[in-house]
Amino acid sequence: MITVQHWLVLSGMVFTLGLCGVMMRRNVILVMMSIEIMLNAANLALVAFNKHLAPVAGAVPPDGQVLVFFTIAVAAAEVAVALVIAMLLFRRLDTVNVDDVANLRW
Amino acid sequence: MEALVFWIAAAAMVGFTLLTIAARNPVYSACFMILSFAATAALFVLLDAYLIAAVEVLVYAGAIMVLFLFVIMLVNLRESEHEGLRLNPLMVLAAGTFLALMSRAVKDLGSAVQEAPNALVGTPGTLADTLFSRYAVPFEAVSGLLLAAILGTVVLARRKEDA
Repeated sequence: MITVQHWLVLSGMVFTLGLCGVMMRRNVILVMMSIEIMLNAANLALVAFNKHLAPVAGAVPPDGQVLVFFTIAVAAAEVAVALVIAMLLFRRLDTVNVDDVANLRW
Repeated sequence: MEALVFWIAAAAMVGFTLLTIAARNPVYSACFMILSFAATAALFVLLDAYLIAAVEVLVYAGAIMVLFLFVIMLVNLRESEHEGLRLNPLMVLAAGTFLALMSRAVKDLGSAVQEAPNALVGTPGTLADTLFSRYAVPFEAVSGLLLAAILGTVVLARRKEDA
């Protein structure tokens, strides 16, 4: 029997892997891919909660799944803009290493 | 049967995600990530979220990862710039703390949540009913956001001499 705990632990493990990716990788494209991994893990948790936290009686509204739609749309918009910024970074500074772009760092 | 599919898909998802963040070559990372999204789509099917599973494959594994691959090819890193992993004890501590706190919270959930007796099925019809009634305004807002993203991308990507 697969319970909601199984889904949440899976989601948490994948989210942690994405977090590790953001912290360990220095290539800006890989950092963005790790962010996508984290968003994906959150989507999984949303859908799992939608299935398991639904009210006992009456029709079940798919609110969680609708929210996942919005997450995917926002992720697509974010990736498009972020990848152009990465391309501009490469065009102007000839690097995609986040350590080389620390001008604004305090 | 359901449990078997869950364990296989979950193992595939975690394994391919691990390979994504560990691969030295960014192109390999992107390919492993597509496989990880495929496993995620299988998990969504297991949760009866059929439409979300289809969208996951079409939008994530299709559109977004192709975008990533395009940019990786455009940036075209030299072999020497394929960086390895950088491991810092603080990172391990942060990730471990997060995972421990999360597991603790999940354990506290206990038996408070049970599967709904009348199973929710995420077909296009049930989702559209909700999306175009209660979530009509956020839906329009997201279309505005996507338009802004398209315009922003075009403006950013334009070379100076075209201006």
